[in-house]
Amino acid sequence: MPSLFFGFFATILILASLGVILARNPLYNVLSLVVAIFSLSSLFVLLEAFFVGIILLLVYAGAVLVFFLFVVMCLGLKSVDTPSKEQNKLRSLGALAGFLFAGTFFLAVQSFIKAIGMGSSSIRGTIETIGKVLFTDYLLPFELTSFLLLIALFGIVSLSQGALNTGKASETS
Amino acid sequence: MITLGAYLILSGIIFSIGIAGVIASRQVIKVLLSLELLLAASNLSFVAFSKFNGDYAGQLIVFFVILVAAAEVAVGLAIVVLMYRHLSTIQADELQTMRW
Repeated sequence: MPSLFFGFFATILILASLGVILARNPLYNVLSLVVAIFSLSSLFVLLEAFFVGIILLLVYAGAVLVFFLFVVMCLGLKSVDTPSKEQNKLRSLGALAGFLFAGTFFLAVQSFIKAIGMGSSSIRGTIETIGKVLFTDYLLPFELTSFLLLIALFGIVSLSQGALNTGKASETS
Repeated sequence: MITLGAYLILSGIIFSIGIAGVIASRQVIKVLLSLELLLAASNLSFVAFSKFNGDYAGQLIVFFVILVAAAEVAVGLAIVVLMYRHLSTIQADELQTMRW
């Protein structure tokens, strides 16, 4: 039964992430990334990482991708991908890089799996167990992420401040 | 039972799709979305290793990666909106100056 679920969600994940890069309309790109995040979260639940799975849903699908949707809607983006010669060159280059990476990764995983045989362990990533580790061994990195978020906030405020100033300057001149 | 190799190969497929998207797309929004795919693929392999290794560190790293990705997306989208205001396009190859 778990392997059935794995196959189902893995197929959805691969199809949705193909949709992220292949769909022409930016709106469909964002929405297929939402689908991909949902199936990734289901895979996390299959791996018994419940806390990380629900955080992925709440933060990614709930906040980050809605933010993406806001920006796409506000900018009113149409599908502006005109297939020029340069674009086709970029596409084939991207596909080549993807296939090269997939090939080397596949070879590496094969040799790695032969070298180390890891069995499934019985850990369960519930809020209790994750919280215990997070607030003892990983307390310093956890506190440092608050500084990171603060610096990101400063960056956004200074960016928008610059935009306001230049807007005023262009209005007065 | 699903092996570690299945999860790793799935994560490798998602990662290569993300790499292809980052290289091939010209719209900045698409590049940012493909970066999210790259992060998601690495998250999947972190959680798989955490499960098969019996160590919670992998899941905690995923937690931090999600936080960093949220900050990155906030700053990145602010830059995209600014770029649209100044250049009224979001094609990546229109960005040819270091400052405006």
